[in-house]
Amino acid sequence: MSSIILKDVCKSWDSTQVLKNINFECKNGNLLVLLGPSGCGKSTTLRLIAGLEIPTSGIVEIDNRDVSNLPPVKRNISMVFQNYALFPHLTVAENILFGLKARRVPKKEQKKRLKDTADLLGLSDFLGRRPAQLSGGQRQRVALGRSIVAQVSVCLMDEPLSNLDAKLRQEMRQEIRALQQRLKMTMIYVTHDQVEAMTIADKIILMKDGEIEQHGTPEDLYNQPATAFTGNFIGNPPMNILTPDSQIMSAFSYLPRSPDSISAYLLGIRPENVEISEDSGIESSVMTTEYLGADSLIVCRSGEQTITLTVKGKADITAGDFLKLDLKPKHIHLFDRESGMRLEDSAWRKAS
Amino acid sequence: MKFREFDAEKFIVTTGAWMLGGIWLLPLVFAFWSAFHPAEFSTNFELFAPLTIDNFVRAWSYAPFPRYLLNTFVLVTLILAAQFVLCTLAAYGFARFDFFGKNVVFALVLLQLMIMPEVLLVENYRTISSMGLLDTIPAIGLPYMASAFGIFLLRQSFKSIPKELVEAAQVEGVSAIGILWKVYIPLAKSTYIAYGLVSVSYHWNNFLWPLVVTSSVNSRPLTVGLAIFGAPESGVDWSIITAATVMTMSPLLVAFILFQRQFVQSFMHSGIK
Amino acid sequence: MKPLFQLRYRNHVNGWLLVLPAVFMISLFTHYPIGSNLFHSLFSMGTVTRPEVFIGLENYSYLLDDEIFWKVLTNNLIYSMCTVPFSIAIALGMALLINRNIKGRSLVRMAFFTPTVLPMIAVANIWLFFYTPEYGLFDQIFGIFGGDSHNWLGNPDTSLFCLIVMVIWKESGFFMVFYLAALQQLSPELKEAGLMEGSGRWYYFRRVTFPLLMPTTLFVTVNAVVNSFKLVDHLVIMTKGGPDNASSLLLYYIYENAFSFWDTSYAATLTVVLVLILAIITIIQFVVVEKRIHYQ
Ligand SMILES: Nc1ncnc2c1ncn2[C@@H]1O[C@H](COP(=O)(O)OP(=O)(O)OP(=O)(O)O)[C@@H](O)[C@H]1O
Ligand SMILES: [Mg+2]
Repeated sequence: MSSIILKDVCKSWDSTQVLKNINFECKNGNLLVLLGPSGCGKSTTLRLIAGLEIPTSGIVEIDNRDVSNLPPVKRNISMVFQNYALFPHLTVAENILFGLKARRVPKKEQKKRLKDTADLLGLSDFLGRRPAQLSGGQRQRVALGRSIVAQVSVCLMDEPLSNLDAKLRQEMRQEIRALQQRLKMTMIYVTHDQVEAMTIADKIILMKDGEIEQHGTPEDLYNQPATAFTGNFIGNPPMNILTPDSQIMSAFSYLPRSPDSISAYLLGIRPENVEISEDSGIESSVMTTEYLGADSLIVCRSGEQTITLTVKGKADITAGDFLKLDLKPKHIHLFDRESGMRLEDSAWRKAS
Repeated sequence: MKFREFDAEKFIVTTGAWMLGGIWLLPLVFAFWSAFHPAEFSTNFELFAPLTIDNFVRAWSYAPFPRYLLNTFVLVTLILAAQFVLCTLAAYGFARFDFFGKNVVFALVLLQLMIMPEVLLVENYRTISSMGLLDTIPAIGLPYMASAFGIFLLRQSFKSIPKELVEAAQVEGVSAIGILWKVYIPLAKSTYIAYGLVSVSYHWNNFLWPLVVTSSVNSRPLTVGLAIFGAPESGVDWSIITAATVMTMSPLLVAFILFQRQFVQSFMHSGIK
Repeated sequence: MKPLFQLRYRNHVNGWLLVLPAVFMISLFTHYPIGSNLFHSLFSMGTVTRPEVFIGLENYSYLLDDEIFWKVLTNNLIYSMCTVPFSIAIALGMALLINRNIKGRSLVRMAFFTPTVLPMIAVANIWLFFYTPEYGLFDQIFGIFGGDSHNWLGNPDTSLFCLIVMVIWKESGFFMVFYLAALQQLSPELKEAGLMEGSGRWYYFRRVTFPLLMPTTLFVTVNAVVNSFKLVDHLVIMTKGGPDNASSLLLYYIYENAFSFWDTSYAATLTVVLVLILAIITIIQFVVVEKRIHYQ
């Protein structure tokens, strides 16, 4: 039972509050991703769980035990650092065994765990080398090995793949996910790459300016973005967030309208859901087109708005063309203009 | 409540650091105490002992300290200026040009890092004497003007300058000396400052070699003047000797306290090989 | 063909022209005197009436029989063996203290470093008074505990150690700076990783910090050893090598021979020994550096 719970956790440095009332739970055996733009407080949250920082207020629980006042060692967790934190003067084997030796695990046990870990990660041939003699991916594996060999059920990772090239990153993230499931680890994984988050997470916590923007499964975040920010952050290319103007309002009669103000909300639609239509829809002119192989990205301008859409294959469209764009009601997300909060579908669809 | 064990440790560390720091300052505090108090208080630590600058006035009048100070100042300036010119040229040569025998010559230059001119004072005295320079300020400075340490530091710093900058200047038709002047020297500014501070403090404090080659007030630097003044045979009062000591070290001490950060960083910089 | 030829040789000419002034000066005051030392050590002292004559290795055989030489050499070894490890250990301790985020850190750092910027002569003057019998600070402190008065510097048993204590005080702060620089290069991630894996402070120091500081330790050690052979200013003020050469060091003995006894040919012989010692240190350094594992 290795769940992690944060209750009303706040963290300030001097007068600046970096984390505001963070509440969440990561269930046993789950992989939770902390996602968000740079500086939003992901690393800080992770370091609070690790015990490398102390919360200004609030409680951190691991296994239903309040660990807020315990130093890192006593929290029974392992951590993989962004720059791997490998000791340059020690060999791979010594690096992996560093913690076990510190905790005086018996020699025989050390040997067995080293072998298991090395086999698991395919490091058996490199045990005698120093970190400088390894490739980036191999170093990453050694860092993983260090956290696996501890055989604790909670593992924290802070942007573990950010130093690898794109292809390797994809391989390694699959490998991490497979390991996590195989060893039934509870893992909290920090990244600012939404693709990485979507592909490996059981649950994602999207953060912004020290607050949780949304907590849910990858599908939740994609299909039911709770805020305009989430909608824009998740998905590539990002969701179009439009401010309804008179043209949009008149083109799509299903949009709710209140007598006082027509634009109390923002309208979100994913690029792949924008359709090119012969007759109905809003008028727009094509600004640029980009051919990406499987599909093409088309950026259009309609009045004050910029709308991005994707079409399959190579589109027979060039800059300067005029298009009619149709936005189907089932693909529309509405967000409150002031707060950015999602307007519940049931609320506005019924009203219209 | 939180992390009580951590706090206790930090407290111990802080106290330890402060105590050690206090012990380390003690000799200096003591020197200042006795320099600013009448002789009868020099070993008698009463909080309200009368302060005086009499010791300084007397030290000043007993020996030509203004002249010593001037000599030291001229000496340090002369050495630094010569070092900057000689070391810059040599470092530029070693850093940028491939010439016949370069590595051997460089190794020979580095020999001076280990065997400094003062170690060879017997023969160097002979050389200076045969040049007819005994008892002059240049005599004190000459052996140090080409410094392997300076060449080494500047060469390192020159070598770390991006090649593109040099090539860009080359394309614009800047001459070799122009490149040195416009690219290398400005970009190595921090090294010059670091080396300058290290060199000034070294030569301000240097003693044995100046002692050997000087024999009159005309060329003696402060350190030698102080040594002669403070010699037991001179029979001068302890308080006055400390006043003279404080006078000797205070220019550097004041500079150090004002530019503490730069000093420490310069020494760090000069130590990273 | 001519431009190509010029281009080829321009580098050589430019390079040589640039390094020549410095190389000439260094040769004049380092390489030439090493050679001429060797040369003069093979001759007898010349006087006004008697020219110097070639005496072969006579100076060296005299040196081997010179008890004072052996005494001074032993002193110097003791002096090095005490000042070097102690000042390095203290320097490392200081750096570890200062590297933590403690209150008043820059003040403490300044306190440690200040002795470094002071002239050895001034330092010797101050410490001379500490060691003064009866009135000096040490005797006063001993007096509080009911101790007798000691003639610290006048006693052959204590004089060398008095100098050693003072030199440790003066040099530790200097070496601290290099450790501080090295410690700042260590990534905090390593420390945190160690903390997470349950390494205690001592274990971490022994397994990680200390080995990673090894290059600095080597650099500082060589510096300290060289200093212990070439820094003798304090002797001039404090003991003049006495009593009975109990605190004399090799370079001071050279100085005495050359400028008090005016026996320059014997001083040259002694200098050859000193240069040899420094050369051996250099060679050792190179061998160790060559052997040293390069981490990155
Ligand atoms: N030790 C510290 N002292 C003061 N402010 C800090 C400290 N550590 C982090 N911060 C601040 O807290 C905020 C959150 O930092 P954090 O490192 O958690 O961001 P992050 O989400 O991990 O960003 P990134 O993706 O760039 O790593 C930042 O504004 C940062 O400036
Ligand atoms: Mg971060």
